[in-house]
Amino acid sequence: MISSDSHEVSQLNELKIDLDAISVIAHYNGNSDIIMDEQMPIFGGYAGGVEETAIVDIATHINAFVMSNASWHLDGPVHIRWGSTNTRETLMIAGWTCATISEFTDMLSGNQYYPCAGPCTEMCLLEASAQSMTDTASGREILSGVAAAKGVVQDKTTGMEARMMGEVARATAGMDIGEVNKIIDGVVKLYENDYAKAPQGKTFQECYDVKTITPTDEYVSVYDGARKKLEELGLVF
Amino acid sequence: MTYSRSMDCYEFYDRAKKGEKMTQDDWDLMTIPMKSMELKQKYGIDFKNQFVPTDKDMMGNLFKAGFEMLLECGIYCTDTKRIVKYTEDEIWNAINNVQKKFVLGTGRDSVTVKKRKVGSKRKPIVQGGPTGSPISEEMFMPVHMSYALEKEVDTIVNGVMMTVRGKPPIPKSPYEILAAKTETRLIKQAAAMAGRPGMGI
Repeated sequence: MISSDSHEVSQLNELKIDLDAISVIAHYNGNSDIIMDEQMPIFGGYAGGVEETAIVDIATHINAFVMSNASWHLDGPVHIRWGSTNTRETLMIAGWTCATISEFTDMLSGNQYYPCAGPCTEMCLLEASAQSMTDTASGREILSGVAAAKGVVQDKTTGMEARMMGEVARATAGMDIGEVNKIIDGVVKLYENDYAKAPQGKTFQECYDVKTITPTDEYVSVYDGARKKLEELGLVF
Repeated sequence: MTYSRSMDCYEFYDRAKKGEKMTQDDWDLMTIPMKSMELKQKYGIDFKNQFVPTDKDMMGNLFKAGFEMLLECGIYCTDTKRIVKYTEDEIWNAINNVQKKFVLGTGRDSVTVKKRKVGSKRKPIVQGGPTGSPISEEMFMPVHMSYALEKEVDTIVNGVMMTVRGKPPIPKSPYEILAAKTETRLIKQAAAMAGRPGMGI
């Protein structure tokens, strides 16, 4: 890695750190590296509810710059039951935290994507879209993902999910906030009753021609289907 | 109170050796839930089911609550079982002196990360990748190349290689070091094969 790559150090849940991380920060500072301070506050964890977790998330953001001398903070409010960043509650935490940090500071902030569903499913793409809209409209500087299938199944992520994250961000940038909130609500309603039975999707090898790194016709068709649903809800690509 | 010098990792380490003692359970199960609940009530924070806020007064209250959370609680060090506290001025000193922009990557593949605002018309930077997801050794380069080939993607975030030379990268083993080095090299190679050798990771 070179200095202009993001060098990661992670805080612990909630408002905790270990001394190994402090030594890592000293190493990064010594090399003038870009420092990415990461932490994913847990909704339903030690802090509890939506607003309480957002309060801790604000404190965590600020600590990234006090303790870690961060260049940017990588956020990722996650649901304790579903292990997802795309639930109604975690989107609210992310949206309010980022908008508040954007309004009152010059701190730079990113957010991580952990949908329940796996690649080559509409649900996965819609989950990523709801978060991309939330992040883009609330002033987030970096969108980081997508760790499909909650980021826990081998080879179940592909470039197509990141394409959707980017295309939705492009479409959302500059939109009226009231309209954004209305569309996000519509998107979340499409998948929020399905967390327990989220489709697991396919592996990278099943989604792409591995030699040419080209997505299958099936995945392109699924992608088009998700995009059409977003357009029906009012998003203009 | 005026700070004697700006907070840094060295000062943090020193404070982690002599701060107030507390058990981790007390921190996790008492300090964090009690203080966050107290601050929610003190500032009357209610998101009213909005995803992206429009109420600037409520956002102001949320900022005050978060600031106070850090000021009054501090940070718990799990190794020393002690609390590191900051002064108000130390926190503001950090907030007021953040990097306002920076560059990820090199050459024509580099991108500048700079401040956005609520409702900003500029698209955010897209850091595409598996974000810590487990990736097989065989698929590691093709998976990352699938992101580098997407024009919507500006930089790469890595997955975790599940084996290196067929062995699991057990923590604190030489395989862990080999895996970390190999991940970086393969991602750089994947970006280069996608025609974007200067992509930041």
